[in-house]
Amino acid sequence: MIAIARAETRMLIRNRLVAACAILVPVVFAIILIATQNNFGGSSIVAALQVIVIAALGVYITATTTLAARRQNLFLKRLRSTTVTDTSILTGLLLPIVVINIIQLAVILAVLGITGTAPQNIPMLVLGVLAVEALFLGFALTTSGLTNSPEHAQVTTLPVFFLTFAAAFWIAITGTEDLALIKRLIPGGAAAELIIESWNGIDTGAAVSLLLPTLAWVVVACVLATQLFKWEPRR
Amino acid sequence: MPTTSNTVEVQNLTSRYGSFTAVEDLTFHVRAGELYALLGTNGAGKTTTLETIEGHRSPTEGAITVLGGAPTDRTAVRPRVGMMLQESGFAGDLTVEETVNLIGRLSGRTDDTARLLERVDLVRKRDVHVAQLSGGERRRLDFATAVYGGPELVFLDEPTNALDPTARDALWEVVNELRAGGTTILLTTHYLEEAEAHADRIGLMHQGRLAHEGSLSDLVAAFPAHITFETSLINDDMPIAPTRIRGEQVVIETSALQHDLYRLLSWADASAVELRNLRANTSSLADVFRTLSTETAVTSKEPA
Repeated sequence: MIAIARAETRMLIRNRLVAACAILVPVVFAIILIATQNNFGGSSIVAALQVIVIAALGVYITATTTLAARRQNLFLKRLRSTTVTDTSILTGLLLPIVVINIIQLAVILAVLGITGTAPQNIPMLVLGVLAVEALFLGFALTTSGLTNSPEHAQVTTLPVFFLTFAAAFWIAITGTEDLALIKRLIPGGAAAELIIESWNGIDTGAAVSLLLPTLAWVVVACVLATQLFKWEPRR
Repeated sequence: MPTTSNTVEVQNLTSRYGSFTAVEDLTFHVRAGELYALLGTNGAGKTTTLETIEGHRSPTEGAITVLGGAPTDRTAVRPRVGMMLQESGFAGDLTVEETVNLIGRLSGRTDDTARLLERVDLVRKRDVHVAQLSGGERRRLDFATAVYGGPELVFLDEPTNALDPTARDALWEVVNELRAGGTTILLTTHYLEEAEAHADRIGLMHQGRLAHEGSLSDLVAAFPAHITFETSLINDDMPIAPTRIRGEQVVIETSALQHDLYRLLSWADASAVELRNLRANTSSLADVFRTLSTETAVTSKEPA
């Protein structure tokens, strides 16, 4: 698994398109949001937008594109001809993407905390970020099953990307109280609310109830992935 | 008959894609240390068969044993197996050396990568990205990963496609070295002469079934040799009746090539008949192959 992760990190850095999507674009987005954070409702809302959008770009789109590319050129099949288990193959391929994204988010949220208000419930904030990572990983595994090529990923990732982005933006603009149930049921909505409330100092018990909808979506995505994910191109 | 000395055992394998049956009730085995060539007409089902034996797809019916275990057993079986897939399946952004190290390491075996790259003539390309390799170089890279660490069983799926004659010879040299060390080889190829030259036994597939099986001499024994020549003097004095005449070209099929050729040449000499473009050929795998399209599958021939 570590050998696959190392190789994947090399490929991630060497492929300009993927590197831009996974590393450069999220950083540019973060800089813009931090610079204009006073136009939004404070650091907590900017943090929620940052986490959702950067994870969507850096994990969801990048992982979907990577899996489609590795399947299209039969690299997944090649890896499956070795001694490594399927779980280790997927973990090795996706680990660098997630680690890079978490490092990015850690730096970005730290800068946000220093330049704006500091987060009040850091453990729940961390849990919220990890839940978002898991959510987009699950969606990536599912979407990649419907994606024939890296180019096709630019289309197949749009619905989930815009849905989660819209949920986060809706909460950023209108707050968490109006139509709270609907906002929480939309993928990414409860996660955005969890990040906002963790930043503002929510107690842990209330935070856990905000975690559940996101975990439910993770389960749904993983169940769908077991049905849709393919190791070889469709013949 | 299957025995414990068989490295691969395929029993009543059937593979279906929806309503299409790609392989039907296929039974054969590969003995330890032999080179078994699985050949077939286009769409005969050999790739499906090989991929099922490799563990890349599940059989619809039947059972397969590889080195005494399930082909999908990645803990016990895979470290003993090397695979050269029909299509390489390498990541274009990795270098040649990184690719060999990665796949080699994941195979669970150890080897000297530098020595291996030298053996397949890829030393000069060791730092080149796989995406920049030619088709032949990719096949050599694929071969290097398959033989990494000297596995007990190697699957070679059309190994010499896109290779020039020198590279082919070099590849077969390495295969023969492996065989000398006891490695079992399961080969598919479109180059019949390679199967003729290197295979201990040959299985010929047609329409999802094993149509013929045996050593080269077993397979060609039932097929006549050919004497072919051109002459403007075709008459009843000819000592052997022609099988076919097309214009001035005469084809004689014979099961006694030396005897009939002697009679023909004696007659031509005595009659002062010129036999232009005279050729005498023993029967070949190609002759067996050509009959496949006109026959239905028959029971395989099982040598003792």
